[in-house]
Amino acid sequence: MTATAEPLVERRTAPSSTLARRTRARGSSFERGRRRLFLPFVAPALALYLLFLVAPLAGTVFISFNKWAGSGPMEWVGIKNYTHIFQDPVFRQSFGNMLVLLLVGGFATFAISFVLTMLLRDMPGRKFARAVIFFPTIVPALVLSILWGFLFQADGLVNTILERLGMAHPPEWLASEHQFQMIVLGIVWTSTGFYTTILMASVDRIPPYLYEDCSLAGANAWQVFRHVTLPLSWDVVGVCAVLWTINSVKTFEFVLAMAGASGSLPPTNTWTSALFAYAAVYPSGGIPAYGASAASAVVILALVAVLVVGLRRLMRRDAVEF
Amino acid sequence: MTSLSTPLVPRSRSRRPVRVRRSGGWFRRLVASPIVWLVVAANAGVVVWILFSSVKDTRSILESPWSLPSSLHLDNYARAWTSGDFAAATFNSVVLVVGTAAATVLLAAPAAYALTRLGGRGSSGLTAFFAVGLGVPSFAVFLPLYVVMSHLGLVNNLAGLWLLYTATSMPFAVFFLTAFFRSLPQEVEEAAALDGASPLYVFWRIVFPLARSGIITLLILNVIQHWGETFFALVFIQDRALQTLPLALYNFLQTMQYSGADWAGMFAGIALVVVPMIVAYAFLARQIIDGMTLGAGK
Repeated sequence: MTATAEPLVERRTAPSSTLARRTRARGSSFERGRRRLFLPFVAPALALYLLFLVAPLAGTVFISFNKWAGSGPMEWVGIKNYTHIFQDPVFRQSFGNMLVLLLVGGFATFAISFVLTMLLRDMPGRKFARAVIFFPTIVPALVLSILWGFLFQADGLVNTILERLGMAHPPEWLASEHQFQMIVLGIVWTSTGFYTTILMASVDRIPPYLYEDCSLAGANAWQVFRHVTLPLSWDVVGVCAVLWTINSVKTFEFVLAMAGASGSLPPTNTWTSALFAYAAVYPSGGIPAYGASAASAVVILALVAVLVVGLRRLMRRDAVEF
Repeated sequence: MTSLSTPLVPRSRSRRPVRVRRSGGWFRRLVASPIVWLVVAANAGVVVWILFSSVKDTRSILESPWSLPSSLHLDNYARAWTSGDFAAATFNSVVLVVGTAAATVLLAAPAAYALTRLGGRGSSGLTAFFAVGLGVPSFAVFLPLYVVMSHLGLVNNLAGLWLLYTATSMPFAVFFLTAFFRSLPQEVEEAAALDGASPLYVFWRIVFPLARSGIITLLILNVIQHWGETFFALVFIQDRALQTLPLALYNFLQTMQYSGADWAGMFAGIALVVVPMIVAYAFLARQIIDGMTLGAGK
């Protein structure tokens, strides 16, 4: 997230320093009053942030080096939790699922978002269309997941249509070997609106005469996209990629509720890392493994950090002035 | 790509008067628009379908999911409201969400103001430090939080959850409001300062009201986020009487295995969660969309 903050941070220094200089020139008590206000204004928010996010993060790292059942004595085990989870097929599966969601789901989301963005450009009624497509973004993931599960269950909406269309044996979408694919599909469906909206805002800033020129030169849709739209919205695509990385790693409710009415955790082959971190602490039988949960969280955080920094490097290009 | 776009610019200026049809011809009219409207119709259709299903009985939901409701089964709502404990959950969620949003603004607005206007050299670094918190997922912090908060009696306690929601809102709230305060003109503040207003007065009486639109957007986004928050609620609340709406939905889903699939009640519960959002969205769509995409689109 430093990513999005950077440009803002740079911009801010200028005006406040001119104000500071001006007030300092007056040498007023006002300036002193302002400086005295800084700490009481920032302290409460900063304290909450440190206590509830930064310190627990350090705590999680600490727990990840220990064997602990949540109560009783902790036992320092070094990196054993890490070697354990990487030998654990369930963790490997959840980690792999998370990567599939991140990469395949990410690619699909971006492809669809770009297609929608291009289609929506100067279309009549685009504002309304955008608002409707955006709506799933604000609906709780739990609701979307329950709905998605209902649409695709054995006697659900999709199969009723297929049967009416004459398909005798419609596929069992939620059979355990397909279930994770359906989850990815559902997340792609619900995320598209958000990314389409961001991309639309950036594409809108591209001067229309570039597109006019393309149509005069007889460029086809792919060429227009490849040579105008994509390069001119490249930095926004980079920000979107960072956002997608962070959001897809957080995926939890959508998988959780896909278990439907089975009354327990979903089958392990649909787990993502977030679910692994949760389930290690609330196992249906056995001792809670706080260390394994913490270790998996640390692994994911490290992955996110590497990806975000890497994406920033990869997406950095000379800005195209327009 | 610069190589392509730069020569285009001067050339196209001279051609500007020539009207080019931007609608793109048959492809756009016959293929593109229908695709977009199909997606739009599917999304809107799902919402309408939820509302219809919430007043049908379970058998007709399963047997003829596409039919219009033949009679109004408002008993679905009554059942969800009473036996599904949605009454208590709605109350809890409303109190929690309103309390969280209010506390978030009261703490984040002064902090963001100080970071944009009052700060010295360290404040840009501090702003970035807050922003890093946006990338921390709940599952990476819940263990130590649970351990410490249970010692303090803040687990299974709505006040504890409120504190947790407020604290974890700080990164986005501060990030959002610093961007907003930065966009406000400084002249008014300076004029007030010249008139002898104290810095505190300037903040509460001048900047805070000036920033109203940004603060309202933040309130809305905060409410939306916690209206559907599931992970922390699931971990920190065990009592049925204390559950929030997402927990009520999740528990309802889980109990369906014992009491039979009550999809009608389920959809009534979903409607209770979603309808307030639809109403809010109908009035505030632009603000919500702009707020959520801020920072990325620039």
